[in-house]
Amino acid sequence: MAKHERYQNRIELLQGTLDMLILQTLSWGAQHGYGIGQAIRAGSGDVLQVETGSLYPALHRLEKQGWIKSEWRNSEHNQRAKYYQLTAAGKKQLTSEYSRWSRMSAAIAGLMNPGESEGQA
Amino acid sequence: MSLWKETLRRLAYLGRRSRFDADLDTEVEFHIETRADELARAGMPRPTALAQARREFGSPARMAEETRSAWQFRWLEDLAADLHYAARAFRRNPAFAATAIACLALGIGANTTIFSIAAEVLFSQPSVRDPYSLVRVDIGGNSASPVREYEFLRDAHTFPGLAGENEEMETNWRDSDNTYRLSVVRVTDNFFDVTGIPVALGRPIQPGDSDRVVLTYGFWQRRLGGAPDVIGRKLLLDGRIDTVSAVLPRDHRTVTGFGFSPDLYAPVTDPKTYVTLYARLEPGTTRLAALSRLKPACQELDRAYPDGNHKWANNLHVSAVSGIERIDTEHELMRPVAGFFAVLMVVVGLVLLIACANVASLLLARASSRSHELAVRLSIGAGRGRIVRQLLAESLLLSACGTGAGLAINIGLTTLLSRIQLPLPIPIQFLIQPDWRLLAYAAAVALVCSLAASLAPAVKGTGVGISAMLKHGEHQLGRHVWTLRNVLVVGQLAASIVLLCAGFLFLRNLVNASAMSPGFDIEHTVWAYMRLVPESYRDPAKTRGLVDAAVERLRSLPGVETAAIARVVPLNNNMRRGTEVSTDLNSRGLHVEFHINYVGPGYFQAMQIPIVTGREFLPADRKGAPRVAILNQNLARRVFGAVDPARHFVRFGQGETILVAGVAKNSKYFSLGEENALAYYEPYDQSPGPVADLHFLVRATGRPEPLIPGINTSLGQLDPTASLEIKPMSKALVFAMLPSRVGAAILGSMGMLGLLLASVGLYGVLLYSVSRRIREIGLRVALGATPAGILRLVLRQSAVLSAAGIGIGMALAVFAVRPLARFLSPEVRPADLMNFVVVGAVLAAVALAATLSPAVRALRVDPVEALRHE
Amino acid sequence: MGERTIPELLPGTLYMLILRTLSGGPLHGYAIAKRVKETSHQGLVIEDGSLYPALNRMLVKGWLEAEWGISENHRKARFYRLTPEGRKQLDHEAEEFDRLVRAIQLVMRTA
Repeated sequence: MAKHERYQNRIELLQGTLDMLILQTLSWGAQHGYGIGQAIRAGSGDVLQVETGSLYPALHRLEKQGWIKSEWRNSEHNQRAKYYQLTAAGKKQLTSEYSRWSRMSAAIAGLMNPGESEGQA
Repeated sequence: MSLWKETLRRLAYLGRRSRFDADLDTEVEFHIETRADELARAGMPRPTALAQARREFGSPARMAEETRSAWQFRWLEDLAADLHYAARAFRRNPAFAATAIACLALGIGANTTIFSIAAEVLFSQPSVRDPYSLVRVDIGGNSASPVREYEFLRDAHTFPGLAGENEEMETNWRDSDNTYRLSVVRVTDNFFDVTGIPVALGRPIQPGDSDRVVLTYGFWQRRLGGAPDVIGRKLLLDGRIDTVSAVLPRDHRTVTGFGFSPDLYAPVTDPKTYVTLYARLEPGTTRLAALSRLKPACQELDRAYPDGNHKWANNLHVSAVSGIERIDTEHELMRPVAGFFAVLMVVVGLVLLIACANVASLLLARASSRSHELAVRLSIGAGRGRIVRQLLAESLLLSACGTGAGLAINIGLTTLLSRIQLPLPIPIQFLIQPDWRLLAYAAAVALVCSLAASLAPAVKGTGVGISAMLKHGEHQLGRHVWTLRNVLVVGQLAASIVLLCAGFLFLRNLVNASAMSPGFDIEHTVWAYMRLVPESYRDPAKTRGLVDAAVERLRSLPGVETAAIARVVPLNNNMRRGTEVSTDLNSRGLHVEFHINYVGPGYFQAMQIPIVTGREFLPADRKGAPRVAILNQNLARRVFGAVDPARHFVRFGQGETILVAGVAKNSKYFSLGEENALAYYEPYDQSPGPVADLHFLVRATGRPEPLIPGINTSLGQLDPTASLEIKPMSKALVFAMLPSRVGAAILGSMGMLGLLLASVGLYGVLLYSVSRRIREIGLRVALGATPAGILRLVLRQSAVLSAAGIGIGMALAVFAVRPLARFLSPEVRPADLMNFVVVGAVLAAVALAATLSPAVRALRVDPVEALRHE
Repeated sequence: MGERTIPELLPGTLYMLILRTLSGGPLHGYAIAKRVKETSHQGLVIEDGSLYPALNRMLVKGWLEAEWGISENHRKARFYRLTPEGRKQLDHEAEEFDRLVRAIQLVMRTA
């Protein structure tokens, strides 16, 4: 598992979570790379800032696994850009990733705040 | 603050490493046992439970490693890992590594070698006890004082110890039937005591000894075969039997320094000898304090031995015997030597920079071809700093290897140099040994190189954005002329222009010096140096008799046109005088300084120096006859103006009047580069004092070499106890030519080296550029471009780079070579246009050659292949 | 690729979980791992191979202190305890984690 010595002030998203966020963003419609980054940032209230150094390799990886596909189009400013969109397999992957993530964060939250569900110590 | 505490904790770990391992084992065992307990409580049999618990735990070894690494200093681990990674990368890419290391090796090798030589020549310590409390003492403005004066000062106990030595002496060593002339340092009997010079065998000369000698290691090996029974052996020196009492160590360095390397040390025998004084000071005494003690002592000396106007108490000097301080006080000869070394250090520094630029360029090329890999690493979270550290580690590894190779070159070259015996009148042999200063210097150089070479590539490499990674697959049409690599190449070319200009200047100087006529004939002349045993020739009449007999014999030899005696041999020896001269035409004294020589009849004919007016010396110009003299043209003009001096008179101070017999044509007297020198000749017979050094000059009708055996025999028969050294005059010029030869050799080769390195850089950049533009070239060819067109593409880039390099280089060279003028003879002018034209042409030619291979590569591009190329 | 059978921690949360577990009092290594597993109802498992390296790193950073003692099954064991710096770190990491989770939830819930 990846080692992170400490949290940085800017939260960096690693592989699993980033994949999920990308898939989620694309579930609202096709988008180019820059737009995806923007959407994640805006959608998280400016907390999650995705570095291009992480974003594009992730897109590359997701495409290779067949969960997204890409095509060249003209952007809103009439420039050529690569647009990504969710595949059917991707949609399924999104669901499973989200459920896994939910379980995980719930488990951690449970441990961090044992008031609600905790039995004996 | 927390970082500090963390460091302390890690340091504490270092202290209890072994305990740590044992503790961790215990902890892990506990973990496994506790798990096994649980499983056992659930019903599993104990052994199975234990086995299961172990399996669940996983590999303890790996975990132990990881746990340990939590405590270790991260950067050390990282550095080790980085170096390992770098080494693997180089193994995969040997051409790159080899080129980089070779460039660094050459640059560092040259650099450290010059440093070693400079350190030895300029900064070495003499082999004495505590060199810092030993000083050289000059009184009365002289570098040496008579033995009588020395004894006075010694007995006055001005200093805890005062000794004297004369290193310019010689002695004839008679070994069976052969007589050899040896270089000997005559020392006062307390010299070894005061200086504390260590010996390797035996015991040194001690107070009271008068017939013991100390051999140098070189003499013992070369002339006595390193015989183990050398102590106690008897040597016949200048007619006296002396006993060998010690042998000096191999690394002995004299107090005189500068590589001076005599054959042996012997006690002063002649009370009229002049000795240079060395004093031992109490610890902590400054030179200033010593000076203040010296003055009253010298004043006492003047009262005891009054000597006309000359006062020993004037012009006192106390100087150090070691290190840099010596340069200031030594002969004026050493200042230009120090200056020359300064120039050399700058030159090799430039060469090293060029080499580093090559390495930087190579690293840049690598960085950009690894841009894909770097981008991925950046994206998965490797910090930029980490990647920069990796690149720094690579260049550190390269520098370390380059330094190692460079040091090997250094040791090779300096060992070679240590074996060479320079063909000088004074025996000089450098003892260049690698020592800690060299290692420290080399380490510093390596560090600087590695930083210089890696900074640009590291910064650039990690600046690789995603755009570059994406474009990797696409063709690059960009006209990025001034990329960092190109700038580096231009810099290299400019630097090599400067180096080439310097080298070319020195080469021209050499050619000039070789072609320079010394003003006398060297093609047909033989120089026979006969040294008599001084004790046997105390009577000047006896010496004169021998000289006459010798000259007669020489003249009667077959193939000899004429022969003559001389006191001084031009360009090898020097006697100067400065005084007031007045003439019969002008009684007011004029101060002049001139070279002086005492020559016998036939000298000017033997040397083929024309007598412009008047006559040569004749046999009638003997001792007792009226005094005569011959002036050279410069002196004649200075003293007599336009008047022909022949048959007029000159007078020095209040001395006798001397008839001017004639005027000789100007020639060179001490160095080939001198100009407008004044010279004065008197007949040998009328010279003061007996001299043991006889210089015969023999003119041959044909080639001089065949005469040598005959001269040898002939003179040898006259006195077998005299030592003979006979050589053609052309060989004697080596001393005069040495500076220009050395300068040309070193600077010429540095220029070549710089050019080679820069051309490798240019070649690399062009080749790389071609390989990057393969698609573009293929496209052009497919669209109908001719080979000429493709060629133009490559040539244009090469031309732009070369032109820029040459332009900038020339501009720099104009200023940079100006200070070199002081090392060159006046005819060779640094600002001469011709120099720049030639150098520019050479560089252009080499640049063209470097372009050849990339151009061919470009021409060979197959359009079909190229378009598929990524 | 489907569900994983053994749940893994979210990357970067290991320290936080250990700190939290120790906030209730000192424990030895085995107990820490067991507590995490139990409290999360098997949702979170710390691999044995990662546990001790992490504990040691936290020792180096001064978030924990360790000393030898006797365990409940009468064996010699090494007990870890939070330091004041450790408590501060726990608060900090918990805060960051909350922030992160909220942000992600925001993105995931947006229609």
